[in-house]
Amino acid sequence: MKKMDISTILASAIHESKNQVGTLLYQLQGLKESLPANNANEKRITVIEESLKKLNDEWVEYLYLYKLASNGYELHVDKFLLDEFLDDQVFALLASANAKNLELSYHCDSELTGFFDERLMTAVVGTAVYNALRFARSEIQINASLEYDFLVISIEDDGQGFTAKQEDEEFLESNTGLGLYFAKLSASAHVCNDKEGFLRKEKSTGLGGAKLAIYLPQ
Amino acid sequence: MRKSDFSSQKALLIEDMAEARIMQKKMLSDFGFETIEIAMKAETAIDLLKTQSFDVILSDYNLGNGKDGQQLLEEVRYSKLIPNTTTYLMVTAETSIEMVMGAIEFQPDGYITKPFSQAVLQRRLSKLLETKHKLIDVNQALDQKNLPKAIAEAYKVMEKYPSLEGKCQRVIGECYLEMKEYQQAKSLFSSILVNRKMPWALFGEARACFYLNQLEQSENKFRQLMLDNRFFVSAYDWLAKIKIAQKDNKAAQVILVDALERSPKNLLRQMELGRLSLIIEDYPTAEFAFRRAVSLAKHSCYNTPEVYLNHLLTFAKLSEKTPISSRQKETFQITLKKVHQLFFDDPSVRAKSYSYEISVFLNSNEINSAKNTFQLWTQDVEAGIAVAPTDKQSSQYTLAFEV
Repeated sequence: MKKMDISTILASAIHESKNQVGTLLYQLQGLKESLPANNANEKRITVIEESLKKLNDEWVEYLYLYKLASNGYELHVDKFLLDEFLDDQVFALLASANAKNLELSYHCDSELTGFFDERLMTAVVGTAVYNALRFARSEIQINASLEYDFLVISIEDDGQGFTAKQEDEEFLESNTGLGLYFAKLSASAHVCNDKEGFLRKEKSTGLGGAKLAIYLPQ
Repeated sequence: MRKSDFSSQKALLIEDMAEARIMQKKMLSDFGFETIEIAMKAETAIDLLKTQSFDVILSDYNLGNGKDGQQLLEEVRYSKLIPNTTTYLMVTAETSIEMVMGAIEFQPDGYITKPFSQAVLQRRLSKLLETKHKLIDVNQALDQKNLPKAIAEAYKVMEKYPSLEGKCQRVIGECYLEMKEYQQAKSLFSSILVNRKMPWALFGEARACFYLNQLEQSENKFRQLMLDNRFFVSAYDWLAKIKIAQKDNKAAQVILVDALERSPKNLLRQMELGRLSLIIEDYPTAEFAFRRAVSLAKHSCYNTPEVYLNHLLTFAKLSEKTPISSRQKETFQITLKKVHQLFFDDPSVRAKSYSYEISVFLNSNEINSAKNTFQLWTQDVEAGIAVAPTDKQSSQYTLAFEV
């Protein structure tokens, strides 16, 4: 038998699983609607729902990661109003943050626009926020601004922040490393006038915790 | 965010999977849509769109065996079956999104990836409708075919809402192309490309170059587009046009055959291949292309007599060279029957159909059948329901019948 490329097999397996998560989510939605309001199980159902949503977002991340890594991702850059884009991201992730009693907000100039691939950046922001959910004490912020020829989207929290040791451990032991790798590939897929996108891991001056900044050439 | 009012709006939901259909319908009715029509496949949707107008169309990309959501969108936009003011939202999966985004020429107003919650759909729809509302004067001018007004309105919108700049510039460029102001179109698209390699601008520039007869430049741009976007099959059609303009019909045919291997269900492309193959006298390819076109035509916006008559014509041409097989004769009869059923009220269609039938009979040495058909034709001419044979046809038939 001809040997098949294992990453391709995994990618299609993930795709299958993702579809099943989708079906589960739909069924859960139906179940939710069939139950009376304010019932005892509502909270538990929300937890399941949020977990499934996260699982779905992770599968999407892995699929894009596979495509980026195998040069199969076609970048579709368009111009977006950051106010709208970040509002969408907060809307999608707010329930997950609230479930952990964390605040999630975004800040940017209401006129700020930028060029990027919406699907990819949605996945990157999602990954970064899910990661921040694990470390933040009370608050997560998404900020966007223009720095010279780069649009900067940053995800900041009030947790312990990045430390050298933590980084290595994370890379080996949890999916954070994979998430960072994904964010890095996504940033560098954005190229404009010979300038490439990149990541910066810093300390958040506003919140004191970690800050992951994604630089996208404009 | 301002809550949209859906209560005066009509929605069309196109989804083949029962479970998803039921749920999406529930979502839409919860939003308060006045009416919600349902289609389970593209062909039904087209029939509905021919008789009704909708404010919102929510269509799945995957629609089972028939046309997919993107093909449906292209067809209804191309044939102007839906106005520019209608909002088209495509429901996609991770695998199909690339096909939608790569299409460039005909893109939906927005897309939403499965799975999505009711809240997400509501938000997406509200935002799209808001954007459509901002562009209403532009789109109404487009629907009225008042292109100078559309351009003027687009400039106004651009000034008021800078985030819609791209959309407006695109409309302006497309208007210039349609108004045959190619130089103006080209400079607009080029100026956009200086800052950013937007595929739609490159597509516009490539077409402007084509019309300005800068064929090599045009070809390079189309090749670049194909390289960047695997799913942009329309680029093939333009390359074929370039080859035809360069009088290389054979190369054009090869390109079209290649494109059709990628998307065999494209009726207009099948027609183009058929016409081109007739010109270079490759009748077997022409017959095959028009046969596919005939089978695609029925549930499409392009169900015109031309499709069927061209198919009949290929048999007249085929039989000139070699006798046609009984199977081919059967195929000819099937299409002939369709012409009788669908288009025989048109006197010129009737005449053309008779003439092809006579040619096939004559080429197959079935003189009596040819005579019978000619007799029918003559009767129809006398009854005023068919156009008379041309002088050339009459003398040709008289000569043939005498032998």
